Amino acid sequence: MSTPRVLWHLMRADFLERVRRYSFLVTLLLAVGLGYTVAAGHIKLWIADTRGLYNSAWVGLLMALVCNTFLALAGFYVVKSTVERDRRTGVGQILATTPMSKPLYTCGKALSNFAVLLAMVAVMVVMAVATQLTTGEVTRVEPWDLLSPFLFLTLPLMALVAATAVLFETVPGLRAGFGNVVWFFVWAQSMAVGVVTKGVLDPYGMGLIMDSLYASVGKALGRTLAETERSFILGGISGERQAGTFLWEGMDWTSGLVLARLSWVLGAVAVVLVAAVFFDRFDPARFLSRRRRRTRPAAQVVAALREGADVAVIPVHLHPLPAGSLRFRFLNVLRAELRLALKGQRWWWYAVAAGLTIAGFVAPLESARSFVLPFSWIWPVLLWSALGTRESRHGTGELIFSAARPVQRQLPAVWLSGVILAMATGGAVAVRLAMAGDWAGFGGWAVGALFIPTLALALGVWSGTSKVFEAVYLLIWYVGPLNRTPALDFMGSLPKAVASGMPLVFLAITAALGTAAVAGRKRQLQMR
Amino acid sequence: MRLTIEGVGKRYKGDFWGLRDFTLELGPGVLGLLGPNGAGKSTLMRILATITRPTEGRVLWNGTDIVRSPDGLRAVLGYLPQDFGVYPNLNAVEFLEYMAAVKGLDGRAARRRIEELLVLVNLAEARKRPLGGYSGGMRQRIGIAQALLNDPQLLIVDEPTVGLDPEERVRFRNLLSDLGGERIVILSTHIVSDVEAVATGIALVDHGRLLAHAEPEDLLRRAEGRVWEWVIPSSELAAARERWKISGTFRRADGVHARVVSDVPPPGAAPVTPTLEDAYLAALEGDRARKEAAA
Repeated sequence: MSTPRVLWHLMRADFLERVRRYSFLVTLLLAVGLGYTVAAGHIKLWIADTRGLYNSAWVGLLMALVCNTFLALAGFYVVKSTVERDRRTGVGQILATTPMSKPLYTCGKALSNFAVLLAMVAVMVVMAVATQLTTGEVTRVEPWDLLSPFLFLTLPLMALVAATAVLFETVPGLRAGFGNVVWFFVWAQSMAVGVVTKGVLDPYGMGLIMDSLYASVGKALGRTLAETERSFILGGISGERQAGTFLWEGMDWTSGLVLARLSWVLGAVAVVLVAAVFFDRFDPARFLSRRRRRTRPAAQVVAALREGADVAVIPVHLHPLPAGSLRFRFLNVLRAELRLALKGQRWWWYAVAAGLTIAGFVAPLESARSFVLPFSWIWPVLLWSALGTRESRHGTGELIFSAARPVQRQLPAVWLSGVILAMATGGAVAVRLAMAGDWAGFGGWAVGALFIPTLALALGVWSGTSKVFEAVYLLIWYVGPLNRTPALDFMGSLPKAVASGMPLVFLAITAALGTAAVAGRKRQLQMR
Repeated sequence: MRLTIEGVGKRYKGDFWGLRDFTLELGPGVLGLLGPNGAGKSTLMRILATITRPTEGRVLWNGTDIVRSPDGLRAVLGYLPQDFGVYPNLNAVEFLEYMAAVKGLDGRAARRRIEELLVLVNLAEARKRPLGGYSGGMRQRIGIAQALLNDPQLLIVDEPTVGLDPEERVRFRNLLSDLGGERIVILSTHIVSDVEAVATGIALVDHGRLLAHAEPEDLLRRAEGRVWEWVIPSSELAAARERWKISGTFRRADGVHARVVSDVPPPGAAPVTPTLEDAYLAALEGDRARKEAAA
């Protein structure tokens, strides 16, 4: 079979497998929701308190930038599962026995990722047309003006995201939750770098178009924009602005600009090839041999291989359990859940957690609260993200759900283990707040300790994957406590947020999430 | 101790019935559940294990409906699914301690039980190794151990000997025989010799329906006069397979000795004593022939 044909079938089978899942429908609905947010005017692009008239060029640009900003994050999490699925289903080991080369495999997977992202972008294109028509400022739709921002700004970035998702799945340390966290920070930082470097290190393409936009704004205002005005806001603006408008007629896509954007597609190809280098071709021995070397001396391995030699002499009679042995103890389950959560953590994980605890005790109270606490509560993110998803991830659901009262017994233990984790890692700040008599701050902290594991459990139970919590929590954490946005400060790190009653809001959200988690687990038990 | 299955059916999407009008009454002993792939065995197992809800009918454990009140059964249930996972970072003891806690086993009793089970399933030496490094057979044995943690009155094991080496398989059969004396054991498998070795009763399932529920001896009696040994040249074997239901072959100097399951003997064939595998094939063939005749 020819290489293009193999590539086509690799991509096709993977794409079909994805689009026939309900989760794909949810993904498209998310894209519709995002597009609606723009169409309804909740997300706008502001430059010097002005915005563009809603002609095709402006709407296309606006929607393409929204795609680049949000799909680069959410889309990555959506597509980063294709290699893992082959690994989990065992299809990978079958593929590994075929003549298919490693670059071909990673290339096929990246193309499949790209096709999924393309479907989401296509939804956004439709939403762009709807936005222009519903706003009615300029009703004539110019196809090229509307499509070209998608073509030159969005598609190269999506190609890069698709390729990077494959790379993350092939590099051992980045496959699981740690990779998801790393991508969040890559995403957050790369946008800023792109704008600062004016397109040189700018896969988002924001730096490339800004000069054109500043020129149009300057023309509308009848003056050259000052350096301090040369910035933009993509998002919602609280309060109604008396915004002026300007006419932007689109980019002149010169060959230089097109080549600059196409270079990111070449970058994506390079990333795919790098992924092929790391790709283990589904050989479990690579991973296992490292683990065994680390945990067991060779003599023990030999002893283990010898086991079974005296099988005949082993008894086959099982003694009955003594009367009264079956007495449920919640503490036993809680202890087991805590051990399950912490098992496999390396010494350095505890060292960093201990370091953050010490910092929480010795730093000035305000710094401890607004700076140390957010980091104390981002460190265990991968432990929290396993809540509610462990059973589906490891295939233990049928074992656990066939035990008595799984909703009343195991689920609360899972949740409480997450709360204890929050209390342990962020406890230093709580002690400081209590000692200072700042009971309102202490209350905000307590709500945070309840909110995080409840959010993890609810999202985990309903989505069946840890990625949703990792993405949502990182976003809230980044915008809220880290960037000091009171409305998203769920941990009471900002006195202003506590004073405005945000802990009560998050307490109510926590209660709703807890109810959702219980309902989700009941649904899991009933739908089988 | 009674398990009553009354007219149970399970409909999946697309109006496909995985199980239909299934009725069975069970007391202590080992029930071997036999049937081809997709017959509905695993669906039945999951319904009995309170994992899947039946679309129709009901299952009673000592008179209590397990859909309405599953926890009465769950407290005394041991279940080994066909496909299950383990937590790869835990070792055998830690995993079993976790399962014991979830099943409501007292801490001290759990520790003693785990030690006994690890010896029983021959994993005592590997007890401190992370489960992620276990072979398929070792993982299967951990699954068997967790199913026995709470001294179950109803033990449901779905393809339990998959991945076990012959010696372990024999030991597990003996264990099931031992357990079956005072509890209900339901064993689903494709390996007829496993059922032959331990089952006190056999349920034959095909296309989601119960074809027969009988003692092994009874099934064997029903197959008498329907199994033949036929000696043919090896060059005729392929043609013979197309025409007759051949349950096994072995080669001798005089040609291929084929065991044929048929109401009518092939020319020159001699009657032989049926094995349980012959009886199983005869029952399936008979049912299919009846359906074809009715159609």
